[in-house]
This record gives sequence, structure tokens and C-alpha cells, in this order.
Amino acid sequence: MHELSMAQAIVDTVLDAAKKNDAQEILEVTVEVGKLTMLNPEQLKFLMDIITEDTLLENAELIIEEIAVEIKCSSCDFKGKASTEGSDHYLTIVKCPECGERNVEITKGRECNVKNIRIEKVDEDA
Amino acid sequence: MHKIADVEIQHDIMVANRKLARQNQRIMDQKEVFSVDVLGAIGSGKTSLIEKLIDHMDQKIGVIAGDVISKYDAGRFESHNVPVVGLNTGKECHLDAHLVEHALHDLPLEEIDLLFIENVGNLICPVDFDLGSHLRMVVISVSEGDDTVEKHPLIFQDADLVVINKVDIADAVGASVEKMVDDVKQLNPDVQVILSSLKLGKGLDEIITAIESYIGKK
Ligand SMILES: Nc1nc2c(ncn2[C@@H]2O[C@H](COP(=O)(O)OP(=O)(O)O)[C@@H](O)[C@H]2O)c(=O)[nH]1
Ligand SMILES: [Mg+2]
Ligand SMILES: [Zn+2]
Ligand SMILES: [Zn+2]
Ligand SMILES: [Zn+2]
Repeated sequence: MHELSMAQAIVDTVLDAAKKNDAQEILEVTVEVGKLTMLNPEQLKFLMDIITEDTLLENAELIIEEIAVEIKCSSCDFKGKASTEGSDHYLTIVKCPECGERNVEITKGRECNVKNIRIEKVDEDA
Repeated sequence: MHKIADVEIQHDIMVANRKLARQNQRIMDQKEVFSVDVLGAIGSGKTSLIEKLIDHMDQKIGVIAGDVISKYDAGRFESHNVPVVGLNTGKECHLDAHLVEHALHDLPLEEIDLLFIENVGNLICPVDFDLGSHLRMVVISVSEGDDTVEKHPLIFQDADLVVINKVDIADAVGASVEKMVDDVKQLNPDVQVILSSLKLGKGLDEIITAIESYIGKK
């Protein structure tokens, strides 16, 4: 739903890191996107393609790794992967897989993490 | 010669927002301001409710008008003689902690005990963005249809207080208020659900009591 502003934030973060590391080109960007964010990975990719034109990111490959939902159950103390159901990710209902309780604390699945980049730079040792 | 290097970044944009949100809460705590993020679909009654709360609560109230049509809403709040900052979110679908930080700088926080933040009318996007408020109140209305809760589970799982408004027209629009309450309770068993008709003045006292009890607990 807010893929454009997120795409922009990702691009800013990457360009900043690329600059600090004297990158001449960015080859690859890996972003982790939690299943519970209101972000559609396909749309994120599409928008990144558009806004990175004429930047160091122009030819970079964008890899999106989806992060599964993890919880801490409020009633049975279960910790780990949640059971999720729902027809699409905006409708995800998160439940404890042990006791079925919906009153759970979400510990993973809400991230939009710029994980790492692969860059090309001048090799000063060569 | 060129070489290829892998650079670890690990910058979570959501975490960056949450950090800013915590900072906002610290600013408000320092100034002894209790804040309520008011969420809900367009037209559910967010502005109407805040207007009524301004008129009926004893606290010194301030408002951040963050809906897309904030100019119009800000005008409504100003006519109640309270400090208001309208946030221009443009086409953005939610408020974020950074926008709120700016608004906090523009408000006379010393003169405010209770700050309402009217979020963008949207039941999906604000879920991703903590603002730093002390209380998240979701306002929905029967006119959105009685399946609106099951269609937007996450916002109800996150809510501290849920108001189901416009119960005066439930029959007219064929909505089952009971179903809406049940759906909320399924998602969030401990949350307080209040039925209201701002038109008839129903439920307002209960909402005030609920907010005051949260202020007291802080
Ligand atoms: N019938 C009825 N209409 C209401 C009620 N509360 C608000 N409204 C009307 O709903 C419309 C939208 O209200 P508003 O507060 O602007 O909604 P917002 O977009 O959530 O801020 C206005 O015309 C209000 O007068 C209610 O309890 N019953
Ligand atoms: Mg409004
Ligand atoms: Zn959005
Ligand atoms: Zn459990
Ligand atoms: Zn700024």
C-alpha cells in the first residue's frame, strides 16, 4: 500500500551505503520483507525498477526474502513460527499453532530490512 | 582493477520508524502529554469523536490532524479553540513517526495534557507505522459493513480500544453490531469495545472513562 515510499527509503539507504563504500556500481540488493507488512513484494520490485533509473542501482538485481511470522503466545507460552491463514497477505490472521489462540505477540514478520548489497569498486591493492 | 564486495547493511526501515516513535513518546512524556492515535476508515467518525471529546473532557487538548483532507478537519478542530497542527500527507496512505515528530515541534506541548492524532482514513497502512502514541484507538462504523473487522485483522489485533460508531443506523444499513463485536473479540479478546452513536450522544461517556483510565494507568 505504501510501496512507493518504502521503495524510496530502500533506495536512499542503499545509495548511502554504496557511497560510503566507494561503490562504482551496485550489482545486487537483498531486502527482507516480513509477511505481515502491508507491502507487496512484486509491487515493491516494480517501483524500485522505475525509481532507480539513472542511479548506481540502475542495473542491480533486487532480491526479496520473505520473512515468516513468528510469535510468542499469550496463553500457552509457545514461541516460534505462527500459523497464518487468510486469502491474501493483507488479510492474514495470526494464530498460535499449539493452542489456536489469536492473542499473540508478533516477534517476527513486520520487517522491511535492507540486508546487504553486492557492489563493484576499484581494487586498491591491484 | 575492479573487485566485487559484499556490504552488510542491516537497516530495517520499520525499525527506524519505531525508534523515531519511541523518541516521540519520550518527548511527550517529558512534557506530560498523553497521546491517542485515532485510526479508522474515511468517514467512520474520527473527527466527530475528537470534536466531542474536546467539548466534554476536562483535559487541555491538542490535535494533530493527519487525514488526507487535514485542512478541512483542522478547521473543524480550530473552531473548538484548541491548538491544532494539520499535517499535509499528500497522497500518503498513513502517518509516520517522522511526520508526527514535526507536528510535535509545532505544538505548544506545555499547554497540552491530551493529544489526539487523527490518522489517515485507512484500516491497512497505519498498521505498519507506530507514531509513539500511548493509546491506539480504532474507530469504525456500521456503515462500512459488518465484515469490516474480519477484513482488517491486524489493526484490531494492535488496538487498545475499539469504538463501533453509528449504531443508530445499523438497521438501516443491515449491519449486525454483534457480529462486529464478536469479530473484534476473536482477534483481540482483552480489548475494550464500545458501541457509540455520536449523533445521539451514545457511548461518549464510556469512551471518556476508558481514555481516562488509560491516562490513570500510565
Ligand atoms: N448517523 C450517524 N452519522 C455520524 C455519526 N458519527 C459521525 N457521523 C457522520 O459521519 C460523517 C463522517 O464523519 P467524520 O467525523 O468526518 O469522519 P472521519 O472521516 O472519520 O473523520 C459526518 O457526516 C458525520 O456527521 C453517528 O454516530 N451516526
Ligand atoms: Mg476526519
Ligand atoms: Zn500505505
Ligand atoms: Zn498458544
Ligand atoms: Zn524532517
